[in-house]
Amino acid sequence: MMAGELEIANVSKAFGPVQALRGASLNVGSGEFVSFLGPSGCGKTTLLRIIAGFETPDAGTVQLDRQSLLALAPYRRPIGMVFQSLALFPHLTVAGNVGFGLSVRRENAAEIGRKLSDILALVGLEDYEKRRIHQLSGGQRQRVALARALITSPSVLLLDEPLSALDLKLRRQLQGELKRLQHRTGTTFVFVTHDQEEAMAMSDRVAVFRDGLIEQVGPPQEIYRRPATRFVAEFVGETNIFAAVRESGAVYLPDIRARFPGGRSLPDAQQLLLSVRPENINLLSSNDQGGVEARVQEVDFGGMTVRFSAQTMIGERVLRVAVASEKANDIAPGMPVRLGIDLDTAAALPTS
Amino acid sequence: MTGSGTRLSAVGQAILATPKTLLVLGFVGSLAGVVLSSFLGKDGFPTLELYSQLLGSQVIQNVIVRTVWIAATVTVLCTLVAYPVALFIARSKHRNLLLVLVISPWLTSIVVRTFAWVVLLGNRGAVNAFLMSTGLIDSPIRIIFTPTAVVLGLVHVFAPFMVISILSVLLQQDRRLPEAGMSLGAGPIQTFARVTLPLSLPGVLSGGSIIYLLCSGAIVTPLLLGGLRDRMLGTQIFQELFELYDYRRAAGMAVILLVTSLAVVIPMQIIDGRIRRWTRG
Repeated sequence: MMAGELEIANVSKAFGPVQALRGASLNVGSGEFVSFLGPSGCGKTTLLRIIAGFETPDAGTVQLDRQSLLALAPYRRPIGMVFQSLALFPHLTVAGNVGFGLSVRRENAAEIGRKLSDILALVGLEDYEKRRIHQLSGGQRQRVALARALITSPSVLLLDEPLSALDLKLRRQLQGELKRLQHRTGTTFVFVTHDQEEAMAMSDRVAVFRDGLIEQVGPPQEIYRRPATRFVAEFVGETNIFAAVRESGAVYLPDIRARFPGGRSLPDAQQLLLSVRPENINLLSSNDQGGVEARVQEVDFGGMTVRFSAQTMIGERVLRVAVASEKANDIAPGMPVRLGIDLDTAAALPTS
Repeated sequence: MTGSGTRLSAVGQAILATPKTLLVLGFVGSLAGVVLSSFLGKDGFPTLELYSQLLGSQVIQNVIVRTVWIAATVTVLCTLVAYPVALFIARSKHRNLLLVLVISPWLTSIVVRTFAWVVLLGNRGAVNAFLMSTGLIDSPIRIIFTPTAVVLGLVHVFAPFMVISILSVLLQQDRRLPEAGMSLGAGPIQTFARVTLPLSLPGVLSGGSIIYLLCSGAIVTPLLLGGLRDRMLGTQIFQELFELYDYRRAAGMAVILLVTSLAVVIPMQIIDGRIRRWTRG
């Protein structure tokens, strides 16, 4: 069976007056790709550094394959790390950097050489062994950092926003490579990011952090479609939040004094808080009944979809809407539109 | 410095022309004067007579060897003393306070500080009193007026330069580098030996260059703490100038001092530059 199962329970950590973590708990399965997502200062990097051993928690436990990690010094943990700054050793060559973990373990030269060429082939850096770090591009440095962390076959690889310094195109490319690498090595990946698209695109599961607590853990689709809290709904993707009142066979939205049919999947309460994604608001034609009158503000053409904001005539709520572009050919700022809301796809949030 | 500086206006150039001229005349000019005068015979013709005389003399040869030997020893000792101090300061929360403590001796004159060693190292000084009270020695040992005293005094005076030089390099290091070493399985000692130390070598080399230069030209410390036979090039030049009034011999020895110092410092600078080029970014 594969190793690399992390169990994090009730971990707290304060830096002076700042409470970075307030009892975070999470299990990461063997070979899983989990992202820590959250705004800066939410505690995600602190938890990563606790797993690595660079910080000691004030309370709570961290176990790897049912063994506590907390008593182990960072250099005795079977855990690799890719740093945000990459922290490549500038005085060593690519081979010196990547082979560092093996030469520290005093493996013999032939073995080091074999593993080195294997791992460099895996990250696509054959023939770069003798290069120095300052001679490499950003993407190549990224691959060196990955190879260096993976060569010792750690059970868990921690990645602290390693792609944040790269331009968008290279970032997308490396996201794909990272995902493939994770599949091939079967290593558990814990990836810290504040970029929700990155987290969504790469992870098996996403843990959304807020103020030192994990607000929700789940597969990306679940996080997006069924956010557990208002914070998650608003942080991951765009959304429209409505207070709602249930009526028989319909739901009334007091803010915009409009009534929409459906909502059978919503919970049974009288008062509801709903999160409606932009793509769940649609344009109604002039023949349609119901809906809500609004005036288009900015329009953002995105190829497949058109995103726009529209202010309702009643209640003056600004709604974010996304529709397929062939249905919104003539949409322009200032245009009056009638909008429908598909309440069966809306997510109910806790009201408090 | 080339290329990155802001371009100066004509007025700025004109204003700077004065100090520039003074610097060229005062520094380069007088240096050239010293060098030239050492190559002129008493009759006014160019000759190497002075140098054959100086370098042929057993006394001067000994002075040169002693100067190189003491400067090298002091540089090595300063590194050994200053490195742990710099490492400690770099990792301390009270960095600024500690740094002030390190450079606080500079608030007193070098003469005063050197006299303190006379008190400490003298036959009835604190060091001998301590050694005798512990029973390690029966009668005072002679420390003052020996090369040992000179080395001690110079290390005391120059070690702060090394601390600052190493510290500045340590503080520039990415704090994640030692962590990266540890995450790859290197314990504290291996991380230090393989990451922190090699990356701090530029600081050691620049500190070493400064200290070596300052030591080779030291006058006050060898004069006050050294014996009559422990003369160094600096004290020798001082003597020629102010006691014997032989400016020509002084000039010749100054040139020898310059050449021997550069012979050590230039290679250090070249190595330093090479390491810095490797380790940038």
